[in-house]
Amino acid sequence: MNALRSAGVNRDNIVVMSDEPFEEYSFGHAEPSVAMPWLAVLGGLVGGTGGFLLARLTQVAYPIVTGGMPIVAPFPTAIVTYELTMLGAVLTTIVTLLITAKIPKWKQELYDPEVTRGKILIAVIDPADDARADLEDRLRNAGADEIKSTGRFSAI
Amino acid sequence: MAHQWGMVIDLDRCTGCAACVVACHAENNISTVGEDQAARGRAKHWIRVERYYEGEFPDVRVKFMPVLCQQCDAAPCEPVCPTFASYHTIEGLNGQVYNRCIGTRYCANACPYNVRFFNFYNPEWDKPLNLQLNPDVSVRSVGIMEKCTFCVQRIKASEIQAEAEKRAVKDGEIQPACVQSCSPHAMVFGDLSDPQSEVSRLARSSRGTKLLGELGTQPKVTYLQRESWHGAENA
Amino acid sequence: MAQKTPEQINEDLLRPLSGTSGRYLIVLAFLAGIVIAALCSFFWQVYAGLGVSGLRSPVFWGFYITNFVFWIGLSHAGTLISAILRLANATWRRPVTRCAEVITVFALSIGATFPVIHLGRPWLAFWLFPYPSERGIWPNIRSPLLWDFFAINTYLISSVTFLLLPMLPDLALVRDRAAGWKKKVYSVLALGWTGTPKQWNRLERAMHIMAIAVIPVAVSVHSIVSWDFAMAPVPMWHSTIFAPYFVAGAIFSGIAALILAMACLRKFLHLEEYLLPIHFENLGKLLLVMSLLWFYFVFAERLTAWYGNDPSEMTVFWVTQTGSFSPLFWLMVLCNFVIPFPLLAIKKTRTILGTSIASVTVVIGMWLERYLIIVPSLSHKYLPYSWGTYRPTWVELTITAGTFAAMVMLYMIFSKLVPIISIWELKVGLREEAHPAPALAPSHTQPNEVGAD
Repeated sequence: MNALRSAGVNRDNIVVMSDEPFEEYSFGHAEPSVAMPWLAVLGGLVGGTGGFLLARLTQVAYPIVTGGMPIVAPFPTAIVTYELTMLGAVLTTIVTLLITAKIPKWKQELYDPEVTRGKILIAVIDPADDARADLEDRLRNAGADEIKSTGRFSAI
Repeated sequence: MAHQWGMVIDLDRCTGCAACVVACHAENNISTVGEDQAARGRAKHWIRVERYYEGEFPDVRVKFMPVLCQQCDAAPCEPVCPTFASYHTIEGLNGQVYNRCIGTRYCANACPYNVRFFNFYNPEWDKPLNLQLNPDVSVRSVGIMEKCTFCVQRIKASEIQAEAEKRAVKDGEIQPACVQSCSPHAMVFGDLSDPQSEVSRLARSSRGTKLLGELGTQPKVTYLQRESWHGAENA
Repeated sequence: MAQKTPEQINEDLLRPLSGTSGRYLIVLAFLAGIVIAALCSFFWQVYAGLGVSGLRSPVFWGFYITNFVFWIGLSHAGTLISAILRLANATWRRPVTRCAEVITVFALSIGATFPVIHLGRPWLAFWLFPYPSERGIWPNIRSPLLWDFFAINTYLISSVTFLLLPMLPDLALVRDRAAGWKKKVYSVLALGWTGTPKQWNRLERAMHIMAIAVIPVAVSVHSIVSWDFAMAPVPMWHSTIFAPYFVAGAIFSGIAALILAMACLRKFLHLEEYLLPIHFENLGKLLLVMSLLWFYFVFAERLTAWYGNDPSEMTVFWVTQTGSFSPLFWLMVLCNFVIPFPLLAIKKTRTILGTSIASVTVVIGMWLERYLIIVPSLSHKYLPYSWGTYRPTWVELTITAGTFAAMVMLYMIFSKLVPIISIWELKVGLREEAHPAPALAPSHTQPNEVGAD
C-alpha cells in the first residue's frame, strides 16, 4: 500500500479488499468518516415527526363519530411517535450504509474470490503502461503473493 | 342537547322471571346456540338475570339482578377497539358497528360486566323461525362481537316519528324490549339529560347504586337496592 | 480457539452448508408435517368459525394470545442480547450473536402471526393497518393493538436488518465457493459485497448505531405487549408493574431459548470447538440473574395484590395460588426458579448439560407464566355469575405445536443456508487475540502512513 503511494499512485485509484475489517491498518483510516450517527438522529427526527403527524392529523382527517370522546390522545401519540422515531433512525442507518458502502452493486469489474480465502486484494486502477512494471516490483517487494494483471494487482 | 339514554332497574321489583331475556332475544335477532354450545360458554344473552344465593340452607335467599350493557360514559371497551367498531354515539350509547368488527375480542376482555358476546359460529335459525326475524335489526355473522344496544332501532324509530310530527320525544315513549316486557315494572328507560324524566328522578333515589361503579366506568344504568332485603336483615 | 487458522474456520463453519444427511431430512419432514397440520387446523378454524377453538365467554383470549406473548418474548433472545453484548464489546459474544439474532427473526415472525390467527375475521386483518381506506375510517390509535402494530413492525424491520447486515461478508464468502444456481442466489443475497475498507468501515459503524437503536425498540415492544393487558380494567392485569415484568420475562425466556439453540447447534453441527463451555457458563450466569429478577417481580406483584386486598384481585390471586390454577402456578415456580436456580448457581452444574436443562424448564415455565397471566384473570372477572373456565381444543393444540415445529424447522433450514456463526467476526476475534490492538490507536486525523505494516 505504502509502496504504491510512494510510487505516486493517486489514492483514489488504489482498491483494497479483504475478508475481515482492518481498522487499525493504514488503509482502514483512509476513509473519510461520514456522520452516520447524526444522520441516524436526523432520520429519527424525520420519522418521529412523521409519526406525530400520523397520529395527530390522520385522526382528524378521518373524522368519526365518537360521541364527544377524544380521538386524539397524548399517550398513544407519544407511543406512535416513539416507534416511528426509532424506525426512522434504523432505516436511515441502513440507507446510509447502502449508499456509502456502494451496495447493492451486482456487477463487479474488480474482484477475486481469493479475497474470501483470507487474501487481501490491493489493486491499482488503470495504471499507466510504463508504470506497470515498477508497480509490480514494488508490490512484490512489499510481500505480494500473486500478481494478476487484467489491470489489477493482488497482494497478501 | 343530545339525549343521554339511561335506565333504572329496581331490584326490589325484579322477580327474576327472565321475560326480559326472552324479549331481548326476539327483538334483537339473537341466535340461540344450542345446549352443547351453551354449556361451552357460547350462549349470547344481551341481558341476563344473575342469581346470587345468600345465607345458609334452609334460610336461603335468592337475589336477582338483571345485567345488561351498562352503556358506560367512560367505557373500557371503546378505546381498546382498533377499528372503531366499538364507539361512543352522540346519544351516549356504547355503539357496536358490526361491519367494522374484525373480532379481536379485546372489548369483551376489557368489559368488567361481561356483557359483550362473540359469534363463534354463523347464526342459524331452523325453518320457519327465520321468518320471525326482526327486519329492523341486522343479523350478525361469524367472528364479530355483539351487545345490548338499548334497542337502538326503537330509539331511532321514535326519534324519527317525533321529528316527523315536529315534537320532542316524550318521556316513556321509547321502551326497549326488556323494559316493555317487564311485568313488575322493574325497569325504566328514558332520557337522563332531562331532569324531569322518570328515569332521572328514580336515578337520584337514595337507593340508587351503580354496578361496579368503583371502577370509574360511569354506567348509565342505575340499580335501586333491595329495601325489603335490608329490612329483613335488620328485623 | 487461538490455534484455529482462518482457513480452518472457513472450512468448519461452511461444512453444514455442503450437504444434508438422511436423518436431517426425516426430522425436517416430520416438522413440516406438524406445520402443515397446524395450517390445516387454522384453515378449518377460518372455515368453521372460532367456535372450533376452546375460547368462550368470558375467556376470549386463550392459547393464541399466550403463544403471541410467548413468541414475542422469546424473540428478545437475539437482537437485544446481541446488541447489548456488542455494545459492551464482550469478546466472547462473537460465536453467539448470529444464532441469537436468527431466533429473534423467526420467533418474532411466528409471534406476529397470532394476532391474525386469533381474529374472528382474520381475512379483514388489514383493517388494522393505517392506510387511506375507502371505508373512511382510520384505525383507532388509542387501541394498544395499534401500538403493537407499530412496535412489532419496527422491531421486525430492525431485527431483520440487524441479522442481515453482518451476514453480508459471510454470504460473499459462500458466494465465492458456490457454483451454478447457488452462486447466483448467494450473489444476489451478498449484494455485491467485496470487502473494501470503506464497506467494512461503514458496516461496523452501522452495526454500532443499530445496536444502540434496537435496544430501546426491543424494550418498547414487550412493554407494549404488556400494555395490551395492563390497559384493560381486568383484575391482576391493570398494574403498573406489567411492562418491566414482561420485559424481564421476555429476556429470561429469550436467553433460555438461545442456550437451547446453541446446545443443539453444537451437538448436531459439530461446533464443539466454537460454542465452548464458557459461552454456556456466561449465558448461564445471565439466565441466573434473570431467574432471580423474575422471582422478584412475581413476588412484588403478588405482595402488592395481597396487601391491596381488592376482592376481585384476591379472587384471581387465590385461584392461582391455591385454586384450580394452582398446579400450573406452582409448576411455573418450579420451572422458573426452583429447578434453574440451583442448577445455575452452583458452578459445578453450570455446564452445557446443566444450563440446557435449566433452559428447557425456563421455556416451559415462561409459557405457563403467560397462560397464567391471561386465563385466570379473564375467567374470574368481577361478577361471579359470569365466571367461566377454559380448556383448549385440538385446534389450538395443533396450531401451538405447529409454531414450535415451525421454529425448529426454520432454524434447521437457516443453519444449512448461512453460516450460523459469523465467520468474519470470529476471524477478527482471532486476529485481535494474536495481535492485540495498540493501546493508542492512531487517530483518524493522522496521516494514513502511521501504523502501516
